[in-house]
Amino acid sequence: MPREVEPSQNERAFVIQALQEGQRLDGRPFDQFRKLDLKFGDQYGVADINLGKTRVLAKVSAEVTTPYSDRPFDGIFTITTELSPMASPAFEVNRPTETEVLLSRLIEKTVRRSNALDLESLCLIAGQKCWSVRVDLHVLSHDGNLIDASCIAVVAALRHFKKPDTSIEGDTVTIYTAAEREPVPLSWLHSPFCITFSFYGENGEITLTDTTLLEEQLRVSSCTISLNKHGEICQVAKLGGTPVEALSLIQCASAAIAKVKDFSTLVDEKLAEDSKRRDRGGLLAELSAENDR
Amino acid sequence: MATQTERVYVLPGDEIPTSLIPSHPKRPLRLGPGVRHVPPSELVPTVAGELVTDQKKNSIWVEYNGGRYVPAVGDLVICTIQRSGPEYYHASITDYSSNAILPQLAFEMATKKTRPQLHHGDLVYARVCLANRHMDPELECVSPTTGKADGLGPLVGGMLYDISLAMARRLLMKKSVEEGKVAVLEELGSAGLAFETAVGRNGKLWVNSESVKTVLLVGRAVKETDENKLGVEQQKKLVRKLIKEMS
Repeated sequence: MPREVEPSQNERAFVIQALQEGQRLDGRPFDQFRKLDLKFGDQYGVADINLGKTRVLAKVSAEVTTPYSDRPFDGIFTITTELSPMASPAFEVNRPTETEVLLSRLIEKTVRRSNALDLESLCLIAGQKCWSVRVDLHVLSHDGNLIDASCIAVVAALRHFKKPDTSIEGDTVTIYTAAEREPVPLSWLHSPFCITFSFYGENGEITLTDTTLLEEQLRVSSCTISLNKHGEICQVAKLGGTPVEALSLIQCASAAIAKVKDFSTLVDEKLAEDSKRRDRGGLLAELSAENDR
Repeated sequence: MATQTERVYVLPGDEIPTSLIPSHPKRPLRLGPGVRHVPPSELVPTVAGELVTDQKKNSIWVEYNGGRYVPAVGDLVICTIQRSGPEYYHASITDYSSNAILPQLAFEMATKKTRPQLHHGDLVYARVCLANRHMDPELECVSPTTGKADGLGPLVGGMLYDISLAMARRLLMKKSVEEGKVAVLEELGSAGLAFETAVGRNGKLWVNSESVKTVLLVGRAVKETDENKLGVEQQKKLVRKLIKEMS
């Protein structure tokens, strides 16, 4: 298996020196994100994120299965991440690297454990039938900051997804196709986003957000904070690395709030654009089976 | 370079029209990269690109922009030392492929007692002296005939940038401004910036200068020219814009 390629000593020394002079390689300010492009697919539940040269694709699918025996009233929700060999020869299909394991753990903790998706709403018949929602995350191109991009992709895809409408009579569940009844969106409680901060310098005094691959390979430590736009923190992960001043972490958390609000507005806007595009003639409100009562 | 009114593009396996193949009374026809000779008399392109002929030198080749660098004898490359063995350094020319061998004595003025001390991660500007499909490539930092370095050897300081293979080829041409249409470096020099560069045919550009900002500017200018495929006029505009931003 080819190993990850390390940057040369010249690059290492230069990037650190440039950071100490206040310059970043691509000329961005230290706290600015690269251009973020969010596109939805024709099918419900497909989100394609471009963050600079990093590209992530999330796809949501749902099917009816039996719930876990210890949780008869909850549906099933799984997130699988795949670092595609398209992104780098260092990634192989069924062999998770350290990056992949960390990425899937962080996304799990952020989206699953924070109860962003209401699992009880996925239950059809208690103990017998429930929806199993599955998110497949594919990393197509890796130029740094996979965690932030993946989280936006997962959240956007889940909010975009619509599951088939159902009706229950006694013990029978009827699932309607898209042609019979308009699909319904998932029951979404809050939108958590991740912001990753990378630290440089002997004491971790320089902080960068949205690092490229080269900057990521040269950082001395990193901290990922997941929160939603109301300021509710889902998790803070600083996995090893150089110790950092507590004050820096608090500053990072306040910077994260501002960024998350931007992400929230961006995702809301794109979702609104997409539904307007699909809702030609304004008939969607009439097709929906939801009652106002 | 033969001036043709229209450019000819070929795909692998295409037939080359015999009218395009140059002929010379004294010199035999030389085949460059991308063209293969199938005996007895067929010429087949093996890559997709522009078919170029030269009447004076009586040669024919294909200009292409591939993704992967294939070492060829005589190319100048920038390699990264991975480890040092008993007699050789192992240097990496391209990521994720096997390392090339750089003999420790293939430096100017190197004897068994005075060898250069290179460590993991150091950059070296070298020439490919042996490149075979089936063997690891070999490098040297000294000219085989004269024994002088001619600018080859370790690169200290500065910054390394990744550029496309076609851009590296254009920068290495003798008349890069007219034929390669790369005017960025000349423009930046005439704008008053002081810097030095080394171009590796394996898609690497090394830039060094006293000031960090100059290095960043040069790197950004070349990368933008490469990624956005700028023409000469656009390159001049880009350089003016970057200089204004800096000052």
